[in-house]
Amino acid sequence: MIEVKNITKKYGNFTAVDNISFEVKDGEIVGLLGPNGAGKSTTMNMITGFIEATEGNIVVNGYDISKKPGKAKKQIGYMPEGVPSYQELTAKEFVKYMAELKMVDRKTRKEEIENVIKQTGLEEVQNKLIKNLSRGYKQRVSMAGALVGNPDVLILDEPTVGLDPKQILEIRNLIKELGKKHTVILSSHILSEVSQICERVVIINKGKIVAIDTPENLETKTQNKNVIYVTVEDKNEKMLSIKNKVKDIQELEYIKDNEDGTKQYKIVSDEKIDLRKTLFDILPKEDITIFELKKAEVSLEDAFMKLIDDRQENTNRQQENIDEKQEKNKKKDVEFKSVSNTTKQGKNFSEANSEKTELENNQKETDKEKGGKE
Amino acid sequence: MWAIIKKEVKTYFLSPIGYVFIGIFLLAFSISFNLELGYSNGIIDFQNIFVYIFTYLPTILVFAFLIPMITMRSFSEERKSGTEQLLLTSPVSITKIVIAKFISALVMVLIALLFTGIFIGIICFFGTPDIPAALVTLLGFALLCMAYVAFGIFASSLTENQIIAAMISIVTFVITWVLPEFIASGSNFSLINMFYKFTTGQIDIAYTLTYLAFTVLCLILTVTVMQRRKSAR
Repeated sequence: MIEVKNITKKYGNFTAVDNISFEVKDGEIVGLLGPNGAGKSTTMNMITGFIEATEGNIVVNGYDISKKPGKAKKQIGYMPEGVPSYQELTAKEFVKYMAELKMVDRKTRKEEIENVIKQTGLEEVQNKLIKNLSRGYKQRVSMAGALVGNPDVLILDEPTVGLDPKQILEIRNLIKELGKKHTVILSSHILSEVSQICERVVIINKGKIVAIDTPENLETKTQNKNVIYVTVEDKNEKMLSIKNKVKDIQELEYIKDNEDGTKQYKIVSDEKIDLRKTLFDILPKEDITIFELKKAEVSLEDAFMKLIDDRQENTNRQQENIDEKQEKNKKKDVEFKSVSNTTKQGKNFSEANSEKTELENNQKETDKEKGGKE
Repeated sequence: MWAIIKKEVKTYFLSPIGYVFIGIFLLAFSISFNLELGYSNGIIDFQNIFVYIFTYLPTILVFAFLIPMITMRSFSEERKSGTEQLLLTSPVSITKIVIAKFISALVMVLIALLFTGIFIGIICFFGTPDIPAALVTLLGFALLCMAYVAFGIFASSLTENQIIAAMISIVTFVITWVLPEFIASGSNFSLINMFYKFTTGQIDIAYTLTYLAFTVLCLILTVTVMQRRKSAR
């Protein structure tokens, strides 16, 4: 069980992770998802105790990572990004060293090392130097280092980056297998991977949590339109007039001509209305033959893009508001100058003064807004 | 902690560094030994020759270049290759990691120092040296090494660039070496000057404590640097 409570990480003025909270239950596989530089690795590094959070606390299996680091770290097997390992050691020596570092009991150590090597498929290369291994094997060595000692919690930072498709599949299966006995957090920017392996997804963007949910829920939540692609043979060019006959169609769009003379259209309706049955009824009556009809599924990828875009739009809007205000202030500033020029000539001093205080207030307001945003 | 020491010492011998270190170390002593024999014009001062071969050339060479050679990589390389992440996320505490790194570098120096026993053997074969004085010299040399190893480890924790770590150690050594030449009170700060007292065959308690205190101070500083980096990383 991992509890992440309101953690923030600041580097000077830059906030890498901003007030993140989430929980991972025992035996759950959770994916941290986000674009590059979103704060995934920083979050993982804080959970493993490699870096310290500026604020907030992290509890791993009941041990606070900053108060009882020794005990908390014993619960964790960590595979860092870029799979660092000691190049001059052999795979087996590395796993042995990791086992010793983690204080695995001397009696069971040998057996444990052999098990892990078998589990990660390293038997063939166990006596080769790590620097001579291929990227895929290096990844497995790193994974073996994380697994040895059978820690309750596994933290895997981009476990499948740089692997070939077959290796990716193998590592994914391994993670799924591990998820049965361990609590797993993995990070990735490959969405299909997360939706395949993880039971829950934490989407992070610019250091903030955008969404926490199951992959399925995220997909359905962000799906607010029903889209159907239909391929038809339409000799009388009646297809576009269908829109007038079925009132639930919000949008009917011609996509392309196919080589066999059929045409593809996109039909959009409200998310609650499934038009497939209606189309099957109506189109033949209009002398239109259906060749293919399919409902477009919203993938996690779409959900992800949408969530991240929403955020982006919000921040853009805020920025625009601030810019507008500043623009206004500038204008007022110019007015103020002209007014003060006139006061120099001995006219209306008090009026100009009140204008000035108003301007200053305005400036303060925008400053505050900016500060809050940062 | 034992695991780290074992692995570190092993790594020294897996790369050429360990062998080069011991090789140059012994070469320096051999040259010094030879020079002493040459200077003595056939009348060899068997009583003090062992003391002579420990001064000047070896001390300067060993400290200027050899100790930084083995200490420069200890934290810098881990930081550069990212293995630091494995080390610092293991249940071993930072203090233990620093002590382990220090001990493994010191073990290398002690292994090299053991080989200098050959010279005692040679001298014993041809004459009767002052054995206690020789042992005290060795002890003083070991203490001096310990202090510089600790400083080298500290320098290594400051940067991920091994060359910079080595340069910090070399420059510091050169400064403490030449300081007494310029400032009269500088000799109080020179760890090397303190060592010359040991070559007279006396164990100076105050100087021994100074070496120990300097070592502990460097190690505490290293632990502090590592802990501070945790929140600055």
